[in-house]
Amino acid sequence: MAEVRLSNIRKLYGKIEIIPSLDLDIDDGEFVVLVGPSGCGKSTLLRMIAGLEPINSGDLMIAGARVNDLSPKERNIAMVFQNYALYPHMTVRENMAFSLRLAKADKATIDGHIGRASEILGLAPLLERLPRQLSGGQRQRVAMGRAIVRDPSVFLFDEPLSNLDAKLRVQMRTEIRSLHDRLKVTTIYVTHDQIEAMTMADKIVVLREGCVEQAGRPMDLYSRPANLFVATFLGSPEMNLLPATRDAAEFDLGEDGKLSGGADFGETGPRDITVGVRPHDIMLKPADQAKLKATVAVVERTGAETVVTCTLPSGRHVCAAMPGQVAVNAGEQVGLGFNPLQLHYFDTGSGKALAA
Amino acid sequence: MHNSFSPLERFVRGLFLAFMLVWSVGPIFFIVLSSFKRQVDIFVYPPKLIFVPTIDNYLKLATQWNGFFHAMGNSLIVAIGATVLAGIVSFLGGYAYSRYRSRLTSWTAVYMIAVRVLPPIVVTLPLFPVVDRLGLSDTHILLILLYATFWVSLNTMIMKNFFDQIPYELDEAAYVDGATEWQLVTRILIRLTLQGMAAGSIFVFVYAWNEYLFAMIFTTNNAKTAPLILSELMGAIDGTVWGVLFAGVTLQLVPVVLLVTLARRYLIAGLTAGSVKG
Repeated sequence: MAEVRLSNIRKLYGKIEIIPSLDLDIDDGEFVVLVGPSGCGKSTLLRMIAGLEPINSGDLMIAGARVNDLSPKERNIAMVFQNYALYPHMTVRENMAFSLRLAKADKATIDGHIGRASEILGLAPLLERLPRQLSGGQRQRVAMGRAIVRDPSVFLFDEPLSNLDAKLRVQMRTEIRSLHDRLKVTTIYVTHDQIEAMTMADKIVVLREGCVEQAGRPMDLYSRPANLFVATFLGSPEMNLLPATRDAAEFDLGEDGKLSGGADFGETGPRDITVGVRPHDIMLKPADQAKLKATVAVVERTGAETVVTCTLPSGRHVCAAMPGQVAVNAGEQVGLGFNPLQLHYFDTGSGKALAA
Repeated sequence: MHNSFSPLERFVRGLFLAFMLVWSVGPIFFIVLSSFKRQVDIFVYPPKLIFVPTIDNYLKLATQWNGFFHAMGNSLIVAIGATVLAGIVSFLGGYAYSRYRSRLTSWTAVYMIAVRVLPPIVVTLPLFPVVDRLGLSDTHILLILLYATFWVSLNTMIMKNFFDQIPYELDEAAYVDGATEWQLVTRILIRLTLQGMAAGSIFVFVYAWNEYLFAMIFTTNNAKTAPLILSELMGAIDGTVWGVLFAGVTLQLVPVVLLVTLARRYLIAGLTAGSVKG
């Protein structure tokens, strides 16, 4: 087991800067999820940690040692790839044994490691099969088994669930997380799926254009996003943003009306403010009981939840999500109610969050 | 697919099939059959399909033209040598072209294909004085080099296609597992490109086995291959001994037919490499 420290890490492809300068500390045994839109550099970062991409400058430390110039095998890491990357001509057992064979482990050691890994992952009945005789979920498990047998100090996962169907994805999510809880090996997991990030991580690192936008515990990021990007990236449906002009303690939304917030930014604070409100923090009220009025445009019911998209007088859409089944229909006039304490405020110019 | 052809359609298809069979298999059938006939029976009209087979022609080939078997040995040495050499070079070349992309590799790829398009004789004839000076004329090594070179360009591209179909993540997984590049190639990639190697090998072997022109230019005695003897049989001073010639041709056919039949599956895979996802 090991902690991973990245300081001042920089990556260029030719003259294009993929990662300008990145610092990140990952503690021993921590489950860290790197999340961000495609092209944000998360996979590149993971591959740099694995030793599959050279690092242009900066220091990468694993367990206290600088590993920048070490080959993947010398870093004592294991990686699970998006398309599993199982060796097609080898059985499940041979796939798992490959790294141990290369390390010239004796047969008893190999059998011991494979036995333990296949017990943890329920692979015992599949050991003599070839990858093409396995389902997607089973292949995924073999890929994890191949990683486990090596007793690595760090596990790396590169979007491991994106080739699976939705149901299996949820199941494997739980399996990977419980595997981590059992083995307690430092894990770095890359995904573009914010639900995976929220549900699995001890710590989420949100990346954009090679920079860390915010890092922290999932619920901290959800309830106190550092900027507009993080605010809209995490949470589903995404946070509603209402650009406003501050007028004393009120927020003027133009033709949509005014909001009286729970925040006071004083005389010196910015005037142009974006008010953010999560769909789950909006209550639908009778139109005459709320300051903000809207027309219901679309109602989506999933059974457990009702998601209502409303149109404000300015034409802007606001999304509200309520538990259970709410009796509301498209075309109805409604009022939108908020708890002022659950509103988020951002400087419209810089996008940064303002402390309420 | 279900069979929903009308009787007329079926008749026309059968007719075509019969025509194609006669067209492609007919001459071979005639040669093989004739090799077991007495000289006088070979060209009688109408041709005899029922006759008493004889191995006289084969015996004559062995006794009067025993150079043929020596030449067959030469053909075998040259064909196997060229196949092995071309196999190794195009395997490594295909790996390099697939995994190490740069301006240099793309330029050399274009050059390789361009050279392959030129008439071989144009590229080869100027070599004659060089070969002579090196003392390589009339040797097995020379023919092996020539035949292998001739196929390396195409086979390298076939192998590149096979390597391209193997996701690069497999290489990376092997590296993370602790493999060196040599171990990656010898333990993983070689197994996954066997089909391509088999297909490429068949091309080279059949080509080297059948080749006539270069063998005629560059060999005189020691490394003479079987096709040369067959042509000598045709131009023998005392007239063509057809029965013996057909016996030689039949023997010459055997390895090719065997090889292509046994490796039909690989051959098709090699020809269609890249067109279907494995």
